Amino acid sequence: MDSTATADRTVTPDTAARRRQQQIRQLCAASIRALAADPALDFRGDHLYRGRTVLPLNAPHLYPDDAADFGSSRGAADGMALRLLHSDASLHARLRPAGQTARLVFELLEQFRTESLAGQPGVVRNLRVRHEAWSTQFHRSGLTETSLGLLLYTVAQVCRSRVTGEPVVAETEDLIEQTRGRLSALLGSDLALLRRLRTRQADYAEPALAIAVVVESLADSAQANNDGGAERSARKTREQFSLLVDAEEDAWLPETAASGTSPTLADDGGAYRAFTTAYDRVQRADSLVRVELLHDYRRRLDKRIVDSGVNVALLARRLEPLLCVPVTSGWNSGQEEGMIDGSRLSQLVCSPAERRLFQTERHEARPATVVTFLIDCSGSMKQHGEGIAAYVDVFLRALERIGVASEVLGFTTGAWNGGKAARDWKRARSPRRPGRLNEVNHLLFKDADTNWRKARPGIAALLKTTLYREGIDGEAVQWAARRLADRPEQRRILIVLSDGSPADGATALANDEHYLQQHLATVVRELEDSGAVNVFGVGLGLDMSPYFSRSLILDTERLGQPEGVRELTCLLERSL
Amino acid sequence: MEFRPGLMVSARDAFGIDSGLMVPMFPEPNEHVPEIDPAYRFNHDVTLALLAGFAHNRRVLLQGLHGTGKSTHIEQVAARLNWPCIRVNLDGHISRLDLVGKDTVVIEDGRQVTRFQEGVVPWALQQPMALIFDEYDAGRPDVMFVIQRLLERDGSFTLTDQNRVLRPHPGFRLFATSNTVGLGNLNGMYHGVQRLNHAQMDRWNIVASLNYLPAAEEIAIVQSRVPSLADGPGTALVASMVEVANLTRQGFLAGDVSTLMSPRTVISWAENVAVFRDPALAFRLSFVNKCDESERTVVAEYFQRCFDAELEESFERAPAYA
Repeated sequence: MDSTATADRTVTPDTAARRRQQQIRQLCAASIRALAADPALDFRGDHLYRGRTVLPLNAPHLYPDDAADFGSSRGAADGMALRLLHSDASLHARLRPAGQTARLVFELLEQFRTESLAGQPGVVRNLRVRHEAWSTQFHRSGLTETSLGLLLYTVAQVCRSRVTGEPVVAETEDLIEQTRGRLSALLGSDLALLRRLRTRQADYAEPALAIAVVVESLADSAQANNDGGAERSARKTREQFSLLVDAEEDAWLPETAASGTSPTLADDGGAYRAFTTAYDRVQRADSLVRVELLHDYRRRLDKRIVDSGVNVALLARRLEPLLCVPVTSGWNSGQEEGMIDGSRLSQLVCSPAERRLFQTERHEARPATVVTFLIDCSGSMKQHGEGIAAYVDVFLRALERIGVASEVLGFTTGAWNGGKAARDWKRARSPRRPGRLNEVNHLLFKDADTNWRKARPGIAALLKTTLYREGIDGEAVQWAARRLADRPEQRRILIVLSDGSPADGATALANDEHYLQQHLATVVRELEDSGAVNVFGVGLGLDMSPYFSRSLILDTERLGQPEGVRELTCLLERSL
Repeated sequence: MEFRPGLMVSARDAFGIDSGLMVPMFPEPNEHVPEIDPAYRFNHDVTLALLAGFAHNRRVLLQGLHGTGKSTHIEQVAARLNWPCIRVNLDGHISRLDLVGKDTVVIEDGRQVTRFQEGVVPWALQQPMALIFDEYDAGRPDVMFVIQRLLERDGSFTLTDQNRVLRPHPGFRLFATSNTVGLGNLNGMYHGVQRLNHAQMDRWNIVASLNYLPAAEEIAIVQSRVPSLADGPGTALVASMVEVANLTRQGFLAGDVSTLMSPRTVISWAENVAVFRDPALAFRLSFVNKCDESERTVVAEYFQRCFDAELEESFERAPAYA
C-alpha cells in the first residue's frame, strides 16, 4: 500500500483517480479482514470474495460508486464486515421472501440489523457517513419524486432509524413525513420490535418479513394506480440506481459462473478450445526485425534507461533476499572463534599471541528463482512498447547481477480478424462455437538460458510496432507457465504486463464477448491454486484485480521511472 | 541439587487452575529458578500441557503469536515448581557450535592449550534443568539436527568432537516456543527450515497453543500496570486501545501488517498516554513509528475505527494526486 502519493504533474488524471480508488479499495479490504477477523476476504473488482466465492452482500448502499469519497467507502466496508460477523448467510437465504420489492426490504433490514450492532465509535461514524451519502444521492437523483421511489426511501429511512436509534437524515425529514405516518399506522408494532430483537437474527426476521410483505403490497398498488409515467419511473429507478444488488449474479468471474457469462464456454462445459492450431507460431523476436534497426532501437532504449535514473544496484539488493537462498560455501579462515583451522596451527607455534586460528562457515546467496515477464503485444500496447522495454530491462539487469534466470515473452497474433484460421473456418461453412479463431503468435524476446548482454538486441524488438496485433491472453499465460515448469528452480514467478482484457475480433464475433476473458481468468485461477507459479498482474493504467489476486496499476507515464519499479518490488516483497 | 520427585504439589494450589493433578516439585529454588510473578494468570489448557511435560518428561511445543507470553508461561510454571530453567533463542544467529560446544584456546600454567568448551545443551542435559528453545521455527537447519536427537525422551547425546556420550539427567526437560506457522516465511531467507520443522513436529509429544487474553483480562492487566487509567473514562479508553491491538493482530494474520501489538506494546502505549495525555500521539510513539512506512495507512484505519479520530498517517490526509 503505497501512501507516498506526491503531487506529480506527469500523472494522467484518470490513471491517478484509478490508482487512488485501488488504494482505497486495498485499505478497505484490509479493514474488513481485521474487523471480520477473516484473512481470506478480498475485493475483486467491486465485489467482496472469500477465497474464490463471491459473498452475497446485496444491500444497495454497500456499493458506493467510483466517485464516492473515502469516508463513504469506509462506511460500506464496515457494513460488509459487520454483516459477515453478525449474520448467518444460509439462514438469511432460507428466510428470504420471493417478490423483488420484499426481497429488497428484507435485505436492507438485515443489513441495518448488523450495522446496529457496531461497537467502535469510528465504525458507527463511518456507517452514518455512508448512510447519509447514499440517502442524499438517492434523493438528489430525483428518485424520491415517484411514489414507488419515495415509498422505498421512506422504508429505508424509518427502519434504519428504528433499528439503530439514530435520527433520520435531516435533509429529507419533511419530505418523508406523510409516508412515514402511513407506515407507522400499518406497521407500528413490527417496527417497534426491530430494535429489541436486533441481536437475534431468526427472531428479528419475523417482524422484518412482515414489513417486507406489507411494503411489497404498497409498492404494487403504488405502481397500479400510477399515471402512465409508472413504467418510465420504475425503469428509471432500476437503471440509475441499482437498488437490488445481486452479487452472485453480477460477479462475472468463472468461479461464480452458474450464470455463465460466456454462453459458449458454458455450452461446452467450460472447455476452451482453438478452432485450429495449424498456424500458431513461437518465434524469436529478433528474427522479425532487421539487425540495423535492432541496434538503433537498443540505443534509444539505453538512453531512456540512463535518463530514468533507476538505481540497479539497489534494486538488486532488494530483490536478493526474495529470490535467493543462503547456502554454505566453504570457510572463512582467520577468525577469532569457530572450528580450529589446522593449517594455521603452525602460526600458534611461531607467534603464541596469535588468536585468529579458527574458521567459520561461509554463507552466500544462491539464486533459487526464475522470473518470467509476459508482455501483452496487442495493438493498444504499441504506444507503450519503449516504456515497457525500459521497465523490464531495468529488472533484467538487476536479476542478472544476482544470478537469477529470467525470460521475456510476448504474445500477439499473426494477423488481424482471424487470419488464416478464420479463412479455414469460413471454408468449413462456419460451424457454431469454433473456439479461439486466430493465428496465435508467441514471441521470445529473451529465454532463461541467454544472459542479458546477449539478449539486449532481442529485448529492443519490443519497439517494433508492427509486431502488435491482437491478444489472446489465456493461452499465452499457459505457454509461459509451461516454460517455467521445465525449469529446475524451486520458485517460479510470472509477471504479466497488459493494458486490458484479451481482445480478438474474430473470436469474439464467432463465440461471444467474454470467451477469451473467462479463459484468462480460469487459467490464472488454476495457476494460483496450484501454487506451482507465483502469478502477478501489472495493469498499465488499468485494474487487473478481476483476473489476478495479486496485481498493481502502473502509471503509463511513469514507465521505467523509479516509482514504477519500486511499486512492483513492493508488491513482490509483500507477496513472497 | 538432587532430583526428588517425592515432593508433590497439587495444580489447584500452585496455579489456581481447576484440576486435581499432582506434580513433583523441588523443595527450594536455586539461582536458575525464575522469579515468581504473583499476579500471573495461568491459562488452563496450556498449564496442564506444561505440567505433563514437567511431571512425565514429555516434550512440549507451545505455539502462539508474538507477545502472547509463551516463554513467560513456561517460566512461571517452572518458578512455582522451583525447577531451574534456561532460555535459548534460536534466531538465525545461533549455530550448532554455540549449542554443542567448541574448542577454544585457554591459558593453563602460562601455556596456551585448546580446551573443549561445553555448549548450553551438554551443560543443561546433565542436571535438573528445563531447557526452553525460543523462536523454534526460526532455527537454522544445522541447529535443528542437534535438537532432533534431544527430542527422543531418553535420547543420549553424542559429542562427536569429544567422543563422549551424555545421558540426560532424570530432571532434564525440554520445551520450545514458536510463532504460529501460517504465514510462511516473509523474508525468504530461510526456505527449507519450515519443511524440516514439519518433519520434526511429530517428535514433539504435546503441541499446545496460547492465544491472546480475552479483552477483559487484557484491559485489567493494562490498568493494573497503569493505575491512572483505572477509572471509568480510563476503562473506556483502555478498551479502545485493546481493540486496536486486536485489529493489528487480525491484520498480522491476514498479512496486511508485519508488526503487531503485543500486550507489552499496549502497556507501553498506556504508560505514554499517562505521560502525554494524547492517545494518538502516544500511539504513534509506542507503535506506529515501529511499523513499516507502507503499512502505516492500514494502522491508521484500525485507529480510526476504534477512536473515531484520524492519525496523521491516514490516507484521508494524504495529499491527493495531481
